[in-house]
Amino acid sequence: MIRNRKSVLKLLAAVSVAGIAAGMAVTASAQEKITITFANWAAAEGTTKPGIEKVIADFEAANPDIDIVSEAISFSEIARQLVLRARSGNPPDVAQIAGNDTVLLGSTGALEPLDSYVSDELAANLKSGADAGLRDKDGSLFAFPWNQSPAGFWYNKKIMEQAGLDPENPPRTIDELNEALAAIKSSQPDVIPLAIDTTNRPFALSSNWPWMQSFGAVPVGEGATGAESEEMKAYLNWMREIAQAGYIDPGRRIGEFRPLAAQGNVAFIWDQVLLKGVMQAASGMSDEEFYETWGVTTLPVGGGKATTFEGGHQLIMFSASKNKEAAWKFIEYLATSPDTIANYTTSVNSSLPSIKSTGNAELDEVLSAPVFKAFSEEIIPTLAPQPYGPEFAAAATAVMAGVQEAVTGTKPIDEIAASIQQQLPQ
Amino acid sequence: MTADVITTNARARPRARREPWLDWMVLPTLIVMAVVVGYPVVYTILLSVQDYNLLDFTPANYVGAQNYAKLAADSVFWQSLLNTAIYTFGSVGIAALLGLVLALLTENLGGARFRAVRTLLLMPWAVPFVVVAFLFRYMYLQNGGIINAVLLWAGIINDPVPWLNSAMLALPAVMVANIWAMAPFFFLLVSAALSAIPNEVIESARVDRAGTWGMIWHIKLPFLRNPLLISSLLMVISNFNDFAKIWAMTQGGPGYSTSTLVIYVYRLAFESFEFGYASAVGVIWLVMLMALAWLYMRALRMEKR
Repeated sequence: MIRNRKSVLKLLAAVSVAGIAAGMAVTASAQEKITITFANWAAAEGTTKPGIEKVIADFEAANPDIDIVSEAISFSEIARQLVLRARSGNPPDVAQIAGNDTVLLGSTGALEPLDSYVSDELAANLKSGADAGLRDKDGSLFAFPWNQSPAGFWYNKKIMEQAGLDPENPPRTIDELNEALAAIKSSQPDVIPLAIDTTNRPFALSSNWPWMQSFGAVPVGEGATGAESEEMKAYLNWMREIAQAGYIDPGRRIGEFRPLAAQGNVAFIWDQVLLKGVMQAASGMSDEEFYETWGVTTLPVGGGKATTFEGGHQLIMFSASKNKEAAWKFIEYLATSPDTIANYTTSVNSSLPSIKSTGNAELDEVLSAPVFKAFSEEIIPTLAPQPYGPEFAAAATAVMAGVQEAVTGTKPIDEIAASIQQQLPQ
Repeated sequence: MTADVITTNARARPRARREPWLDWMVLPTLIVMAVVVGYPVVYTILLSVQDYNLLDFTPANYVGAQNYAKLAADSVFWQSLLNTAIYTFGSVGIAALLGLVLALLTENLGGARFRAVRTLLLMPWAVPFVVVAFLFRYMYLQNGGIINAVLLWAGIINDPVPWLNSAMLALPAVMVANIWAMAPFFFLLVSAALSAIPNEVIESARVDRAGTWGMIWHIKLPFLRNPLLISSLLMVISNFNDFAKIWAMTQGGPGYSTSTLVIYVYRLAFESFEFGYASAVGVIWLVMLMALAWLYMRALRMEKR
């Protein structure tokens, strides 16, 4: 009995020692493993979620010492959440960001300068102008360009043909556009002749900025002529005219036009390169069918010049990150690895990589597809940086509210322009 | 006997005088209230006198009444205030009237029929506000919306109406969605109040040969006055803070035509990150809500009497 009791005690002691040892081993292994938090909207959207999850899994497999915790946050919420988290000292290590939000985050001073992480080889492989607007006053790089997704003027060749227009000659000027819109409206009343985002949000101002520049208007920023300039009034007047003629459908986000475009109910749409992927996913169109139906070119011009905006995404690292090397490794993988470019950038995200050479023949073939080629050779050269920053965000509400008033109301354009000017940050 | 009463009162008075103004038992509640309600209110007031932008990591500057002076000259603030008043009082007034009419019409429906009708009428109240907003947003669509489709089919209109995209129509259109969602609340409340009217009163009126209108006007409405007043005030406070419906339907647009105070504060705080100025708007908003809450408390006291 006593011997039995001793045996049991010995067994218990052995089990305890083994347990403690195993526990210590697990703890040590957990301590060695680095966790990187990645705030992004790619995982929050149905189209891109599988792609980004695969890329993260591939990265973790290639780097067993790094764990990526993906935090899915919607596109419209991410800037707010990141600012609040940075203020409260709880930011993620890495985040996906775009447009004015990138510069807003950069202005907080909470981001890690990335120049020291970028190798010479990588810097040389970046496309010309890919980092435009991503440097602060001191020239320090606060965000790394993940992908490029400028907007282009997409035209539906079949709708143009039905309206008696030449499908291979899209409108190049505002006058030609007006004529085309009238022809489409009279021949196909159920089709939305022109799809543009007229919501009130900073993205809408980014999207409408090239239209304003097309008329020569620069409401805010460097070289601004204000909201009461003749050019701005000409733009507002034109917006009112096309709205009153029923050529645009005001109030819709650009994303709401995409399914309609996929169904063949939109003639012209001012949208990013990702439109091809979205339309094909929605309609099941093959590449061949897609190119038979859709073409893309630069924006028609009024009194100004044809420009576009960069709707691509950037990656930022927060200074508070405790694992900066691992965070950079992940950023570099997302921006440059053939795995990410094939499974996310050019596929589900339907955008262009920010590097010149992928080092992969198959990928280079994908990137030579007509749409990507048109964007790379024709549209990207018209990229014009916008005066992003806190003032742009404040101006967005005032300018887009004015655009909405012009498009939906009867208030004289002069009064609307004066009201915008009054609301602009002084 | 009289002497006894006098003696008792004389003893009671000093005891009342000795009662502490603060009972220690309420202290935990007060502490919780101070943390949950007091701190945010005080902090908002402090922020409202500072130039505090969330993007600027340097300490905030004290600017005194500057934010309030800016507010006085801010046309968007005044339009938002006007829109808030129209949206709140318009929606509550019409929904209360609608609820009252529906309750009076269905009052005498008995049995399974009444249950079916009541369930049907109460359904909008059970639909989440964001769902209501999206439901109406798609119904109002200029191209493809069912409202325009029906009106076009019936020949009432020749061209689709831009319900949410017209500066003139957007606010009434949002109010219709709000009224649709809120009227069942009043219907439920009025139905309950109607069933609480003593049968003796109704019988007496019938004996006195009161007609339908006379019965409603002289008998039922006086009984419904207090419940309607209190529920209306409650709904006014609730609608004053309504964000989800307006944001999901119009985001305050087009222009500022549906921008209410809560939308304006949200844009200032979370799009421009101007927390100081947004707090000043918040303080004014809080003062107005407190006035409404005071009215509500008074109405409650009146009902008790």
